Amino acid sequence: MELFKRNKVVTAVLAVLACIGVGAWIYQLMGGLAVTGMSNGVSWGAYITMFMFFVGLSAGGLIVASSASIFHITAFKRVAMPAVILSTVCICLAGMFVLIDLGGIQRVWRIVTGPNPASPLVWDICVITCYLVINVLYLYFMRKGAKRAVAMVSRFALPCAILVHSVTAWIFGLQIAKEGWFTAIMAPIFVASAMDSGLALLLIVLVALNASGRFKTPKELIASLAGLLATCIAVDGYFIFCEVLTMAYPGAAGAETLALMTAGPTAPFFWFEVVGGLLIPFCVLVFAKNRAKTGLVVGASVLVVAGVLCKRVWLLFTSFIGQNVAGAPGVMSADGWTMAGAYAPTLVEIAIIVGVVSVGALGFMALASKLLVPAAEEEAVPAVASRASAPELEFDLQVA
Amino acid sequence: MTKLGIAIDLERCVGCHTCANACKMQNNVPTGMLWNRVLTEGCECIDGAVGTYPNLTRTFLPLACQHCENPACLRACPTGATYKDDMGRVEIDYDKCIGCRMCMAACPYNARSFNWEEPVRDVDFNYGDAAVPARAKGVAEKCTLCKERTDRGEEPMCVKCCPTQARIFGDLDDPNSEVSRVVVNRGAHVLLEEQGTRPQVYYFD
Ligand code: SF4
Ligand code: SF4
Repeated sequence: MELFKRNKVVTAVLAVLACIGVGAWIYQLMGGLAVTGMSNGVSWGAYITMFMFFVGLSAGGLIVASSASIFHITAFKRVAMPAVILSTVCICLAGMFVLIDLGGIQRVWRIVTGPNPASPLVWDICVITCYLVINVLYLYFMRKGAKRAVAMVSRFALPCAILVHSVTAWIFGLQIAKEGWFTAIMAPIFVASAMDSGLALLLIVLVALNASGRFKTPKELIASLAGLLATCIAVDGYFIFCEVLTMAYPGAAGAETLALMTAGPTAPFFWFEVVGGLLIPFCVLVFAKNRAKTGLVVGASVLVVAGVLCKRVWLLFTSFIGQNVAGAPGVMSADGWTMAGAYAPTLVEIAIIVGVVSVGALGFMALASKLLVPAAEEEAVPAVASRASAPELEFDLQVA
Repeated sequence: MTKLGIAIDLERCVGCHTCANACKMQNNVPTGMLWNRVLTEGCECIDGAVGTYPNLTRTFLPLACQHCENPACLRACPTGATYKDDMGRVEIDYDKCIGCRMCMAACPYNARSFNWEEPVRDVDFNYGDAAVPARAKGVAEKCTLCKERTDRGEEPMCVKCCPTQARIFGDLDDPNSEVSRVVVNRGAHVLLEEQGTRPQVYYFD
């Protein structure tokens, strides 16, 4: 647990935040979801936003690691270990958020005993479980240096990663009731934003690990990952453009939803995503000389992650604002009857979210301490010895 | 097969909210929830009017679960807590509900309410039909088409209590039932037909 020892203050702060989160969760279990800002009008809130967000963040790692192996991108193999650790931690957090969001968690076993095969939530639980298992197997085989096994697992990992994001998108995208969600491009958008936010987070973490001296990533690799990030941002932006154009063009119901998105209560999030999360980082990363500057890469990555978080917000909430059958007094919300859904997270929700993220950070530190070989150690020993001590970084997957 | 449904005469509805209250009483619906709402269409406030004086109109729209033939909520429910019974009613098995609220996101009619907290009742005791099961914190609920009453062969409370007899209840699968005849003869329509949910609640005027 070396990382804990070296960052005592950080560890202590995270541990305290995690405890506060657990306390807040117990409070929520006692009081029910009424302690959140959700209501009959806006029946999903910050937890589901975070669920989408973390499923997405988990993508980058596994996609980089597994495409390293499938497409023989040797350079990426170096970072496979931290990438998969990150991916594992994020998917666990995503799962935690779904469970925290349930009103009747004591009955959750009903999903196992009587699943409804038509429900996207059931698909999601199956796929996320598979995904987690693959991640853990991946880590295990990498740790053991079992090259063939890693190559095998990675073949399943890539399609599974794509499926996880698609299925998460379908939870929303298959609901005909919500104009803003019901679109076939939902799944591609989720995959694209998962790739860009996931990659961006991976870059941030790699740079942080560099700084901590725990794990060294060569500068050229950071630059080439940043190049990949720029491509993903462009794809994401393109999908969003397709969707927005299709909504706007007929000037019908879609245009109303679009008006809410671009000028309604969720507009700040929409515009931050478009400008801060797509445009600016793309313009920065598109130039090779910028990609060589670690500071700029990290800055752009932070923007991308924040942008994707904003996207989750506008995607989810814009569709809760209106009601299909409108008329006074609307529906009962937290503070009386309302015709326009309104939502703001409460302190309890924020405490729980911060707590969950802290648990994730601690988990990452623990796994990183256990599984990553310190850069210094690696440099100190001669190449042959280092191979033995760091099999997970050196194995050759060409056998695949 | 039986396919229970309701047809509502919008011409007769005077917006008195009796059905909403009768429903709340019958089904022990807690404070802060209504299974059946009477909306004033096109208005920001209850009993408002549409248009400019003196050309004003006012339409009321009683809205509850539409007991859809193709229920969006049922598809989305992960545990099968939401089900379609053999009388054509869409019901919830509260013991199976995990409170995920997929159904609330899926229902195009905002027909569902959620027990965000341990149910509160202004009068401090349970009211209504003793046969109606209690709901706990963390489950979804909605109009059951008065399952307990209709099981006994009675009509739903909203239908019974409507002072203008704007509501007609019956078996939509029986071509001779009053509700079937009204649907055909009065050219009744359903809400949000484009959503493809095929409601079993009809409206006519
Ligand atoms: S109205 Fe809504 S809750 Fe009722 S059956 Fe239709 S989709 Fe389900
Ligand atoms: S809240 Fe209950 S009834 Fe609704 S989808 Fe979830 S389990 Fe089914």
